[in-house]
Amino acid sequence: MKQIASFIVNGKAYELAIEPHMLLVEVLRDELGLTGTKHSCGIGHCGACTVLIDGTPTLSCLTPALTAKGKNVTTIEGLAEGTTLHPIQKAFIDFGAIQCGYCTPGMILSAKAQLDKNPNPTREQVKQALSGNLCRCTGYVKIVDAVLAAAETIKKGGK
Amino acid sequence: MSRLLKPFEYLEPETVEEAVQLLSKYGDKAKVLAGGTDLLISMKKRKISPQYVVYIKSIPELDYIQYSQEAGLKIGALATHSTIADSPIIKDKFELLATACGKVGTPQVRNMGTIGGNICEGGPSQDTIPSLLVLEAKLKLISLHSERIVPIDEFFIAPFKTALQEAELLTEIQIPTPAPRSAGCYKWFTKTVRVDETLVGVAVLMSLDSTDGICSDLKIGLCSVAPTPFRARRAEEVLRGKKVDNTLIEQAAQVAAEEAKPRSRADYRRRMTKVLVTEAVNETWRKIR
Repeated sequence: MKQIASFIVNGKAYELAIEPHMLLVEVLRDELGLTGTKHSCGIGHCGACTVLIDGTPTLSCLTPALTAKGKNVTTIEGLAEGTTLHPIQKAFIDFGAIQCGYCTPGMILSAKAQLDKNPNPTREQVKQALSGNLCRCTGYVKIVDAVLAAAETIKKGGK
Repeated sequence: MSRLLKPFEYLEPETVEEAVQLLSKYGDKAKVLAGGTDLLISMKKRKISPQYVVYIKSIPELDYIQYSQEAGLKIGALATHSTIADSPIIKDKFELLATACGKVGTPQVRNMGTIGGNICEGGPSQDTIPSLLVLEAKLKLISLHSERIVPIDEFFIAPFKTALQEAELLTEIQIPTPAPRSAGCYKWFTKTVRVDETLVGVAVLMSLDSTDGICSDLKIGLCSVAPTPFRARRAEEVLRGKKVDNTLIEQAAQVAAEEAKPRSRADYRRRMTKVLVTEAVNETWRKIR
């Protein structure tokens, strides 16, 4: 039985008809066409489904959509401003931190949440913050390099 | 379009009273949803398919951390592992619990998962439980017609079976202030990588007398080495009331290893129990001195 619920995704308001058993990842991908968020392991280990809910990294594949109503949901699509990439996105490209790209949205959002909370992380702190995002391609080194570089850019007022 | 979950009705009570009314009304057809990190996985795997999902995270009065010297620590059942791990008061006065909650899952899982949900899952390998055991936590359980306080060491009956009754809601975890000259720690090791299942988890809380290094109290909590998390009480007796020294620490660790009943990799895990108990007691002792 569908219910109408209000969602705020990447700053935009949506009124959607949602069935209670729909997961947030399904709503984002199938109802809103925001396919940056991936459904991968489905059991909370890989982090590919990571979105930010009120700024907090959350697994959208373990979140019934209705529990996210009225909250600020940020997906990877919400980071760029028009065609201007977020410093973390730009750093990922510059540092070769993207191969197949599947882990990238979740990885960038976890990184963003960390830099928002702690703009000056150590390498170890970055690794801790990303420990819930698995990558099968890159071996992580360039990902961590990219996040630390983005931190520098952001500190210098870069956008 | 086929969905990952089977259909259910979604209920969102705004108070504890509403929640227990719904749980009472729907009985075993209902499941409580808080963080969802355990429930959603079980539902996806079709281990359980509740007809009613009672979402309790909208209940504001269940997410808090309060402390006073006299009343001790009171944690609302909806406090997340992240909140507990980052809480200045818990890091200061109940450090082992902050450590334990900081080990659970991944950052995302810690942001979502609640201490209440973790306790009610009742599994043998849950990192938070040894610390709660040695801190002698008490659990406040509320149902439609009653409210009871259950000591945590009476809560775990068998793997994934707890003393929580149908239509009962865990609302609060109560932890007394430890004695002065006390310290604790939580030590563990995992299967292969840092973010991984705990193979042996050891929490220690020790108090020293103000004279001469006599151990006035010692509590050892273990997880992953028995059907449920438990207190190694015979091991505790080795040191309780005695002057702490390395020989006694080793003896206590040996007894703890004998009290363990690991299911798989038994020999290795018993040996590692001894290693970790030794390390944990030593570290705690150093912290107090």
